[in-house]
Amino acid sequence: MKKKLCTLLSALSLGALMLSGCGNQGAGNDADTFVVGFDAEYPPYGYMDDNGEYTGFDLELAQAVCDLEGWTLVKQPIVWDSKDNELNSGSIDCIWSGFTIDGREDDYAWSVPYVDNSQVIVVAVKSGITDFSGLEGKVVGVQAASAALAVLEDEEQQKALADTFQNLQEFADYNTAFAELEAGSVDAIAMDIGVAQYQLESRGNDNFMILDEHLNSEQYGIGFALDNTELRDTVNADLQKLKEDGTFDELAEKYGLSDMVCLE
Amino acid sequence: MTFHVILTELLNGMLLTVGIFALTLLFSMPLGFLVSFGRMSKQPVIRLITQFYISVMRGTPLMLQLMVVYFLPWYLFKIPLSSFWRFPAIILGFTINYAAYFAEIYRSGIEAIPKGQYEAAKLLGYSRSQTFLRIILPQVCKIILPAATNEIITLVKDTSLAYTLSCIEMFSVAKQIAAAETSMVPFAVAALFYYIFNLLVSFVMNRIEKQMSYY
Repeated sequence: MKKKLCTLLSALSLGALMLSGCGNQGAGNDADTFVVGFDAEYPPYGYMDDNGEYTGFDLELAQAVCDLEGWTLVKQPIVWDSKDNELNSGSIDCIWSGFTIDGREDDYAWSVPYVDNSQVIVVAVKSGITDFSGLEGKVVGVQAASAALAVLEDEEQQKALADTFQNLQEFADYNTAFAELEAGSVDAIAMDIGVAQYQLESRGNDNFMILDEHLNSEQYGIGFALDNTELRDTVNADLQKLKEDGTFDELAEKYGLSDMVCLE
Repeated sequence: MTFHVILTELLNGMLLTVGIFALTLLFSMPLGFLVSFGRMSKQPVIRLITQFYISVMRGTPLMLQLMVVYFLPWYLFKIPLSSFWRFPAIILGFTINYAAYFAEIYRSGIEAIPKGQYEAAKLLGYSRSQTFLRIILPQVCKIILPAATNEIITLVKDTSLAYTLSCIEMFSVAKQIAAAETSMVPFAVAALFYYIFNLLVSFVMNRIEKQMSYY
């Protein structure tokens, strides 16, 4: 019995080892691979598609860059809280995930900005909230370590508004936040406009709405480690090429981001 | 995403979950024996060191331990990490944590054996290792089975903590599908998978318990 159990366990574990590599099949960070760290719960920039493959505007763009350079793209989903640890320790080459530049200018080697983004507030239609003044005394949800949170905590931006909230509730991901919004335990969620649009489209526009007032406007870029400007410059040049040959705009249209892209 | 794709993706994630589970058991159960001997050692230094080890492993969150194991080489020694390190770090993190718990379970079993049995074995001419392997150990296995089953079932559920190191095991897959589909159904499916997995574990452990009830 014990022997059988042992054999079974070893067989299972060997099989699992071969299949695993934790999501990236045997890829290390050598010269020919390009490891992109992204939040896999962040549609339309990075998420799991209908076939169970990772896709999204950012990932398809990264793939196009890799095609130009002859690199192999490794899509490494990361926990958003750990993005700096992952980047600094070298386990990913860049953060490419609807990543806001504003407020983080000095922390990364940034690519050219490629998306104009705004932070917005989503509320349930039935709540009757129509503008920022309606948020007084309400519970507002926001993703931990996100740009929206930074805006709401910044004295020079929307700290004054955040102070009128009853509570600023941090969530690990927006799916949970929306579940709470539906259930009524939070009254509003602060998030990126592109993500908000995806959520509303997917959940039905009747129940939720985006407030007309925006918290701020900002830009997305690709974040590289500060000492990795060489890779950054290569990717910048490639983005320019993709803009010129039309690939960039095609992808933007595919993901409904045509109004927001800003690469010249 | 069709239900079929959701199932397939979750099953893929399940492979990784089973991998973490099996490898952790494979390494932590023997290591636990070593730790429990250290814990019962007559050498005060060894005993204190293992006592400290156990208290740290039990006294801090497993999630934190996983992060320490993974990022320590970089933050302490500036060794650049590669993706290869992710999976071994997870197994190492789980193993050292579970070894501490198993050690205490083993100790509970070993210390439950009356001293008289050792004396009797000595009189009958058994050597120390013979006494342990042939007389003590079989009884210990029997005594600790229910406690060990508890721990093993907990391990099945703890594997979801691997998500801290961006390891996409079943629960992370469920979260990602839920995000893409803006639905909670994947969580229900994941819960069912964990439950079935644990039913299997309990079934196997029950069988082993029955086999051992020879007196």
